[in-house]
Amino acid sequence: MTAPTQDGLLSRRRLTLVAIEFVVALAIAIVLFPFLWIFLASIKPPELVTEPNVWMFPPTAANWHDVLLESDVPKNIINSFVVSVATVIIALVTGCPAAYSFSRFKTGSGTRFSVLAAEMMPPAILILPLFLVLFRLGLIDTLAAVVLAHLTFVVPVVTWFLIGFFDEIPRELEEQAMIDGYTQFQAFYKVILPVVRPGLAAAAVFGFVLSWNDMFYALILTGGESRTLPVAIAGFWTFRGIDMGKMAVAILVAVVPILIISFFIQKHLVRSLGGGAVKF
Amino acid sequence: MHLRFRLILPLAAAMTVIMAYPLVFSAWISFHDYRLTRLQDVRFRGVENYAFILSDAPFGRALVNTMTFVAGAVSIELVLGLGLALLLQRLVRFQNFARAVLLAPMFITPIAVGLMFRFLLNSELGVIPYYLATIGVEIAWFDERLALFSLMLIDAWQWTPFMLLMFLAGLEALPKDPFEAARVDGASAWITFWNLTLPLLRPVILVALIIRALDAFKVFEYVWAITRGGPGDATETILFHIYKTGFRFFRLGEAAAMAYVLIGILMFLVIVLYTAMRRR
Amino acid sequence: MRTQKWLATALFAGAASAMVSGSSLAGSLNIIIEEVPDYDVVRVLTEKFAAENPGIEVTFDAMPFDAMRDKILTSALASSATYNVIIVDNPWMEEFAKAGFLTPLDDFIAADSGYDFEDFVGPLRDIGVVEGSTYGVPYYNYALGLIVRQDIFDEQGIAVPTTLDDYVDVVKKLTNDDFYGAAMQPQKGYKVMEEWKNWLYATGGELFNADGDITINSPEAVKALEMYIDAFNTSAPEGSVNWGFDEALRAVASGRAATMLSYNWMLPALNAKGGMSGDLAGKFTLNEVPGGKAVLGSWSWSIPANVDDKDEAWKYISWITSKAVAKDRVIAGGAPVRTSIISDPEVWEKGFGEDYYKTLLGILEDAAPLSSGTSAEELIDIVGTELSAAVSGQKSVQQALDDAAKGVERAR
Repeated sequence: MTAPTQDGLLSRRRLTLVAIEFVVALAIAIVLFPFLWIFLASIKPPELVTEPNVWMFPPTAANWHDVLLESDVPKNIINSFVVSVATVIIALVTGCPAAYSFSRFKTGSGTRFSVLAAEMMPPAILILPLFLVLFRLGLIDTLAAVVLAHLTFVVPVVTWFLIGFFDEIPRELEEQAMIDGYTQFQAFYKVILPVVRPGLAAAAVFGFVLSWNDMFYALILTGGESRTLPVAIAGFWTFRGIDMGKMAVAILVAVVPILIISFFIQKHLVRSLGGGAVKF
Repeated sequence: MHLRFRLILPLAAAMTVIMAYPLVFSAWISFHDYRLTRLQDVRFRGVENYAFILSDAPFGRALVNTMTFVAGAVSIELVLGLGLALLLQRLVRFQNFARAVLLAPMFITPIAVGLMFRFLLNSELGVIPYYLATIGVEIAWFDERLALFSLMLIDAWQWTPFMLLMFLAGLEALPKDPFEAARVDGASAWITFWNLTLPLLRPVILVALIIRALDAFKVFEYVWAITRGGPGDATETILFHIYKTGFRFFRLGEAAAMAYVLIGILMFLVIVLYTAMRRR
Repeated sequence: MRTQKWLATALFAGAASAMVSGSSLAGSLNIIIEEVPDYDVVRVLTEKFAAENPGIEVTFDAMPFDAMRDKILTSALASSATYNVIIVDNPWMEEFAKAGFLTPLDDFIAADSGYDFEDFVGPLRDIGVVEGSTYGVPYYNYALGLIVRQDIFDEQGIAVPTTLDDYVDVVKKLTNDDFYGAAMQPQKGYKVMEEWKNWLYATGGELFNADGDITINSPEAVKALEMYIDAFNTSAPEGSVNWGFDEALRAVASGRAATMLSYNWMLPALNAKGGMSGDLAGKFTLNEVPGGKAVLGSWSWSIPANVDDKDEAWKYISWITSKAVAKDRVIAGGAPVRTSIISDPEVWEKGFGEDYYKTLLGILEDAAPLSSGTSAEELIDIVGTELSAAVSGQKSVQQALDDAAKGVERAR
């Protein structure tokens, strides 16, 4: 191989890399642009909010002040947080043992599939009876109602992911534990669960996001004190007109914590998903 | 009882309460003239509700719209997600940063995304049409021809990250040896992708497709925030239609029947996909 | 380890108690209310009521329009109401009253000396009356008016049009490359219906005739829709076929359009210094809709049938709608419903000027509700969908209105 061809090869490779970087940068710009616009909307004076071509203006902190200190948004965030965490905990507690059972006792791919099929149930069909039942129980307008409703889609997804994670763990692990005198349940609880922890985290994050984002159930099941964040964000759209400035603040407040968390766990998330959840 | 079943017990109990019971209840409702403003006078209607909705043009339109939306949005997301995953994998610098940013949209609550794009894409007041107009492109994003497509693009903005996440995980988990062999044989990037990456990724692609498609059938927030199903019936989607019938017009009987028709269609789709997958 | 367990237990207990919040208690009034400018006024005024009645604790559950309907329904279906006082939108009045959700107020009104129920503007009062009984007392009106950029009309020497034909001519004349004669709201459902029905009145049409037959596809309706589409195609912003109230308002506020049909109380907001219209504040005026007869919207105060202490609930309603408090409410920017207050010079002076209130009274006295009957909500959606289909060119005018008539027939 002579020097010039190698040079040509190198520069070609560099060119490809530049092209890749350009495309990725473009994608990043498409993702970031709405965020930038939202941030600007949150500090724009009211008469400029929907002026398309205004980038320089005297910024105002009024929206931030109003939303953070004088609205229910902080309470809505706490509500959303309580709902999502409770949903995920219950989903893990019920889904984890079942997933282990499906994985270890080879209940067959039909079971797995029906777990996933449960996720497909349209919320519209569940909401009607759930609404009537929760209503009879006096739970309408409580966070408990939303948690129950969110379980309908979080439990199947979490369980289904966990089956994949358990599949990845070699059987020898618990066989060894059982030789050491553990019962199978102890082996599951004390040996397998700690090993599958990254998978649990990945499934939990997924469940959390699904629950955190839902508006459909929360819109119908909450009110007043129990309103969750998506419902509150929709609430900035009133007959006064959509209050873009305040809504922008609420969106940013809602997104930033999750983005920070996601930033730290993503690598983990990708790796643990790659570990098994993305297979049948 | 065998451990296998004891482990499934919590899940089975939870699913019975939150899913089986509501499903049976709404099946019962679907055969009655069940109105929330007339609960003292619920009448048995037999299959009349089903007969009506199957001949009802708006319901048919909503079904067609939803399927078009799902097919379009999920295809866009699949292609973009796979492309970006492959590019990100080859990125040398800023890989973590790029991934963190590109995954961000899926963490925003969809109602916020909807309201945001309602103004970003607004023909008079929005930034995007404004700058497109400066280069001579005039697009009415929410007119009767484009509205459904615009909603697909918004869906793609928010959910391509999910596909990206799944594919990054899938790529990470691929065996290294075949690729090394291909490199040694001097196979071109395209040949490697077509004959190696794609077949190996197939299971992941199918899983990602199914999860996204089932989820896209539930599209509600964008419609609610932007078009309300219009212009005319152009963006009336199935969940929005059921929500209106059940919770705005209080005709629960018809709404439940619609939901069951939807379940039937989803069942059919899932079974087709499932058999397709087993044949691999 | 032990601390961890304790912490977990405490967290769970805390979460559980936070999740199950109680419903209303005796001696307290829980009021469901829509988040509109009038609510801000009512909330502040109510502090006075609370001070006068230390035994009654008043709380508001304020929410956007879309959440209200099923919340009211839930409360009405319960054995004991969540809300002791509710507000009812006019399309829901007949439906809720006939479903037995509401308390007849006639005896309360009769026993309330000095309340002067007749003082409420006629069409607004009538909305609360179903089959001879009064179920609601007017809270605020959202009758539609024609809001115009008076400076532009003055500059070009054009009079504000009073007939529909004139209106269509004028908005065409005012339209040029980047300025539009009319910001319209053809969005499916409520929005297009609220706007187009004014046009329907102007051509002499109605949804039903005196015998209750459907007349949505009458020649008058066809004419009204054809004119509406003509104006939209020639004089409304391009690509605005999906616009609702919000976009139209912003287009007018930012100086892109000369006129809009909208709620009368948007005028003060448009003219407010430092508000959404920036330098254009003060240049807008309110006028009667072309043709004179306007679409009337109104919210009424009602007491759910399942409220235990109805006297207490009436005490509040009577107080907030009394002449004295209503006057304070209107001066603070609330939408008036009492004739004596709209005609009160003190209100003119402290409020938004004589012209505004006189125009408003003219609008209110010749106005009819957006929709009526027990399925009014569904009717608005059905007709609103077909109108939108016609405006966007998916159906011919006749076809759309025929389909609307068919849909309404079934929903009735």
